[in-house]
Amino acid sequence: MKTDLAVVGGGLAALTAARAIQRSDREVVLVWPGLSSLYFLYATIDVLGYADAGAAEPVDDPGAAVAGLIKDQPSHPYARAGRPALEGGTKMLLEWLREAGLVWEGTLARNVLLPTATGTPKPSCLVPASMAAGDLRRADPIVLCGFHGYQDFAPELAAANLRRSWRTGNQVSAIRIAAPGFDADRLFTSIDLARSFEDRGFRAEVANRMRRQISGDGVRVGLPAVLGLTRAEEVYADFETALGYPVFEIPTVPPSVAALRLFDRLRKHLQETGVELFWNAPAHAATVTEGRCTRILLKSAGREQPIEARAYVLALEDWVDGALRAGVHLVRDPFFGRVIAEHAVPSQRTAESIFGVQPYAQLGYPVTDRLQPADETGRPLADNVFVAGGAIAGYDPSGTKSRGGMAIATGYRAAMEAMAAA
Amino acid sequence: MPDLSTGVVVIGGGSTGAGVLRDLAMRGIDAVLVEKGDLASGTTGRSHGLLHSGGRYCVNDLQAAIECVEEGRILRKIARTTIEDTGGYFVSVTDEDREWEPRFVEGCRQAGITCERISVEEARRREPALSRHVRTAFWLPEDGHLDPFFLVLANTESARRRGARVMTYTEVVGFSRAGDRVTGVRLRDVMSGAETAIACQAVINATGAWSGLVARLLGVEVRVVPVKGVMVVLSHRLAHAAINRCHKPGDGDIVVPALSVAILGTTSAKVPHPEVLPIEWDEVRRMIEEGALMLDGVTTARAMRAYAGVRPLYDLGAEAEGREMSRNFAVIDHEVRDGVKGLTSIVGGKVTTYRLMAERVVDLVARRLGVGNPCTTADVPISDHDDSLDQLRHRPAQLGVPKPHSGEHPLEPLLCECEMVRPRDAAPWFADPAVRTLEDVRRRTRAGMGPCQAAICSYRLAARLVTDRGLDGSQATRAMADFLETRWRGVRHVFWGSQLRQAQVGTGLQMELFNLDRQLAIDGDRPETREPRLPSRRPVPAEARG
Repeated sequence: MKTDLAVVGGGLAALTAARAIQRSDREVVLVWPGLSSLYFLYATIDVLGYADAGAAEPVDDPGAAVAGLIKDQPSHPYARAGRPALEGGTKMLLEWLREAGLVWEGTLARNVLLPTATGTPKPSCLVPASMAAGDLRRADPIVLCGFHGYQDFAPELAAANLRRSWRTGNQVSAIRIAAPGFDADRLFTSIDLARSFEDRGFRAEVANRMRRQISGDGVRVGLPAVLGLTRAEEVYADFETALGYPVFEIPTVPPSVAALRLFDRLRKHLQETGVELFWNAPAHAATVTEGRCTRILLKSAGREQPIEARAYVLALEDWVDGALRAGVHLVRDPFFGRVIAEHAVPSQRTAESIFGVQPYAQLGYPVTDRLQPADETGRPLADNVFVAGGAIAGYDPSGTKSRGGMAIATGYRAAMEAMAAA
Repeated sequence: MPDLSTGVVVIGGGSTGAGVLRDLAMRGIDAVLVEKGDLASGTTGRSHGLLHSGGRYCVNDLQAAIECVEEGRILRKIARTTIEDTGGYFVSVTDEDREWEPRFVEGCRQAGITCERISVEEARRREPALSRHVRTAFWLPEDGHLDPFFLVLANTESARRRGARVMTYTEVVGFSRAGDRVTGVRLRDVMSGAETAIACQAVINATGAWSGLVARLLGVEVRVVPVKGVMVVLSHRLAHAAINRCHKPGDGDIVVPALSVAILGTTSAKVPHPEVLPIEWDEVRRMIEEGALMLDGVTTARAMRAYAGVRPLYDLGAEAEGREMSRNFAVIDHEVRDGVKGLTSIVGGKVTTYRLMAERVVDLVARRLGVGNPCTTADVPISDHDDSLDQLRHRPAQLGVPKPHSGEHPLEPLLCECEMVRPRDAAPWFADPAVRTLEDVRRRTRAGMGPCQAAICSYRLAARLVTDRGLDGSQATRAMADFLETRWRGVRHVFWGSQLRQAQVGTGLQMELFNLDRQLAIDGDRPETREPRLPSRRPVPAEARG
């Protein structure tokens, strides 16, 4: 298969890159590895939540904080991608989300502080409109509502924590209702609830049951993110009207409806607008001739197939997507087979605490100023290959809450470079 | 003034202590078990779970092998639901192994172990994963898997029904004496620090590798050598049966199929203190390399975690009197040996022979107390009651298989998808005061033991601490973090391949979805300054660090 440009990846970096190329009216093929980081690691888009992994205070203005970080750390991936890439990518993404039918809000100038399912305030930059009313910098009282028999959102736990950790306000209560038609002793998931919410009668009855337990003026209501799957915007607006209080969603563990909406909608929109997508096709093995990559191989439907492009964006988000492969001692990349790191003892890849700064999260390709994967002397491995997302060495998106912003900035910049090189 | 008065205080909540408690209760002797951690949180819960046919000991330790044969047969009668009859193979892979074979066959014959030589072709037909190195195979149908958690729980529950009491997270800090007689124990709750005292007529020290430390509180010496063993858990079973190397027992020569996983075991290294159990990479590597000699797929299977346990090997050399002794365990009568009346220690041994150990020590103590009732533990099934523990083995069936076109048997909710644990399997334990941490819930339900290592169920369990236990948010979040930390301590030693990818999903959820690291910071709880919560994390005395 021959194409102008090929993007490999399953996360936000890959989608950003593919969209940026498509928008420039260039031909692009998206090779999706299957199990996607988007599904596991995203619900909101976090640009920079904390200045460093140890910082206690959240960042208020992520755009300015990234600018400061670029100035202070010229080899940081944000610095390699550059501020224009973050700004251009963010603008493009917000427009794309709207076009794809997803209503999101946010600006690089401001983080919102949203409660998580453990009741912890978390700084995020771009968020679905259905989550925005949870902003904890406002003081309006919060009622958290769960469903009997639904285990992935526990309003009691979230409320207990939020009461302690919320500085601006202090009124938090927890309620639970029986979801109409659901038996608390039978298995149901977020997706079952989300599908039911697409039914108007179900919504009305949920609103009725909730209203009976909610009292007080100026209250807002937090729910697990199950307000609709494919028609979420309509479901959200209608439910908020039916309930009569402002409503916000809180993302849950997989199966995460918030992540599914983002993942499915953007993927489908790309396909609907003509981007060819290889589904569930892990790619590996780049062939490099005279300093240029001539093809990569992908495994689809039981056979190997070469993809020949004039330039490539490798945007496998992280370990989850198979961006790197860890043997017992050696960590290699799947395309060039280079040894990224060597560990005499595998536990060296980890911090002693699960909550520590994890060395393994920092592993990845060293890159050039143009985001080409580089050798140890800094020379590109191939002139027409560019890297985006978590496969770039030197940052830990978990501690700083910066996965989304980094994906956008590097995905956008890598796409620009790839188009210039093709 | 004592807070409580009883006949016998049993110290130690492993298989021996639990077996002793049940034996006492069945003889009508009032008893209290005190354990400084959770039940089965020491040696027992960290064993590999092989129910020994005796084949492993039949050459070097015939008496121990005979006891394994007898006890294995008894346990199959009385503890049916804690055993899986996997059977086992002893396989030779080297010339040295071949030389061991005649002695092995003769040992089996002398010990009365059922042992059948089968062709390698037949063995491989039954166990396709047997490696190409395998040259000879013996079938020992009496090897099995013994679930150590459920064995202990079944014993203590049976004893409780007969009036015995169990106190977990309760450490013995001293004894009260009247002259040369021990008259009671002084206790401290390791979490609250609250002190209590129990008056009693006799104390049984069933603390295994900790026996010497407990005896020292009375100025009495018990020479137990703590010997560390490291094990590696693979995410699936690899073989139907237990696979043993047919050779002189050594490192890494057993692969035990344990419910949904396989356990590679084990190493052997003396340690200065039973709580100093570092996992060294060489040990993990050796488990995998040695296991791979017997079974294909050991190196490519997903290693989920590594863990270390400690054996209580009894130093027989210095002990010559005052005990009724078999080859591998010993009852120490401190009245005869040390002039301390009312104290008896039971040391050495292994999980397979726990019942016999309990019988021997209780025989002595009952005689001293003037109780003539005989031991009945070999005859009365442990789950002699309509007991939910009986059901644990049959959980998948119990969950119901969803049938298309039928409303019957819809799936029940799951708390832990990896191990198929339902909320109602965990609910009773949230009401049990002996259960203090989420690790305790894990031991009783298996929640958190699967491939994701609690990435998903930790949140659900923490939520139940608030709803079912009335904990506040910071306690529940702290418990969730502790649980994840404990799992992490095992995962990080096998940090490659799929388990690394899985770990990123887990840490991603905790840090990026929940922002849990910041929740801990909000609560003033940084990993480096974290107060130890579990007994296993308590500071080890400096002299023991070695």
